[in-house]
Amino acid sequence: MMVTSTSGLPRPLRWRVFRRSLFLQASWNPKGMQNLGLAWALYPALQWLYPEPAARRAAVERHLSPFNTHPYVAAAIVGGVLYHEERIARGEEGPERVEAFKRALMGPLAALGDSFFWLSLKPAVGALCCALVPVLGAWAALLFVVLYNSVHFALRIKLFRLGVHLGDRLVEGIAQEHLPLWGARLRGVAASCAGGIAAWLALQFGTQQGGWGGPLLAVGCLGLGGLSYGLVARGVSTYLLLVLAGLLAGVAGAFL
Amino acid sequence: MVVHWQDVAVAGGWGGLLALERRAFLQAMFSRPLVAATGMGLLLGELETGLYIGMLLELFHLGSAALGAALPENETLAACGTTAASACMASGEGGGGTPALWAVALLLFAGLGMLGRRVDRRLERVSSGLADRALQLARAGELDRAVRLHGYGPLPYVAVFGVLTAGCALLGFALSPAVHALPLSMLRGLAWAFPAMACVAAALAARASHAQRGGLWATLAGAAVVLGTLASGWLRR
Repeated sequence: MMVTSTSGLPRPLRWRVFRRSLFLQASWNPKGMQNLGLAWALYPALQWLYPEPAARRAAVERHLSPFNTHPYVAAAIVGGVLYHEERIARGEEGPERVEAFKRALMGPLAALGDSFFWLSLKPAVGALCCALVPVLGAWAALLFVVLYNSVHFALRIKLFRLGVHLGDRLVEGIAQEHLPLWGARLRGVAASCAGGIAAWLALQFGTQQGGWGGPLLAVGCLGLGGLSYGLVARGVSTYLLLVLAGLLAGVAGAFL
Repeated sequence: MVVHWQDVAVAGGWGGLLALERRAFLQAMFSRPLVAATGMGLLLGELETGLYIGMLLELFHLGSAALGAALPENETLAACGTTAASACMASGEGGGGTPALWAVALLLFAGLGMLGRRVDRRLERVSSGLADRALQLARAGELDRAVRLHGYGPLPYVAVFGVLTAGCALLGFALSPAVHALPLSMLRGLAWAFPAMACVAAALAARASHAQRGGLWATLAGAAVVLGTLASGWLRR
């Protein structure tokens, strides 16, 4: 997609807003949600765009209205708000446009961000790195941070740039990323890695146990895993399953 | 009871720092159990304890997410608190971490995630007060002060979760003599409990992945690992 810049805000100021948007959630609250975070992130740009105090106050106030979206995908909205605020400051559109822009996009983008980042990327990278613990040891934890954030920061920066340059048309840019398709693939990775690490743990601890108890422990662990998979689907508490498995195996280990 | 106060302070500091990352800054997954617990283990000289507890809790909380205004369990507190308690149980009597100690810590402290969610909910009221105050100040024209209030939002989280994690470390030291006095048969049983809980956590992770045919993928991967291990053992003979 061709990107045409219409923003006159100095580039360092835009990046300052981006950096401040990393703190968006700091004062999350049930009433305004991310409102104070958004106002704080935008404030340097609003100071630059509105030298006149009354206009600046109005601009800050309109961003203190309730706002909530996915914290990473919010970068696109923050960028889009800069696009609109600059047009408002130039008198090319009214302030209602930026409010409509936020209202229209925060819900759909939250759903997209939740689905891709929280329910696909995070489980996939988490399960993959857990599965790599036997190979990498503690380095698996570092790999988690590196892998996750290479995708997270690259997309966050890209979304901010789309917002700044495309304004309302940023949806077209986001659609080209095919995030739902990647999300479905990542969820398959998460499930596979979880199954693999379950089998490895059962075999590893069974081997360590040795003797006749080893195969019993390995088969018992795999059986408990399979049973839990079925029971959690029937609404049994995950904590109950975890504790029951621990107690059952504990009794077996103590008395057999 | 032997207490290494330096370990208690380090545990509290790491717990508070990660509360900041989880809540306020970046959300770059330093606060996820695998990373948080491994870091705690490293800081307390019990890296393996942190790694294995972190792995289990990462799998257990794999599907947790803050969707909309809903609050998930606080997996960071569970990971930091459980690891701190386990590491301090081990060092309190001068020993190292074992699967039996990890299992005791998990059975006693893994539920901290639920407590963390309650605390999160309470602290949101403080943030609501800040947002109301910011709106009043903005209307009065004090814009700098209004937006500066945002910076105060994470402070209660850092303080409260730091204290809670330090409390877990202290409890670990307190429980250490009792755990080390357990009969051998019970310790053997607890050593079996850890892999059983880890396998259950992995199964829950496969379910929480929300993958289409997630059960099938998990079974195929598990079968591949079993067959691969058996084949490599047979070839070695």
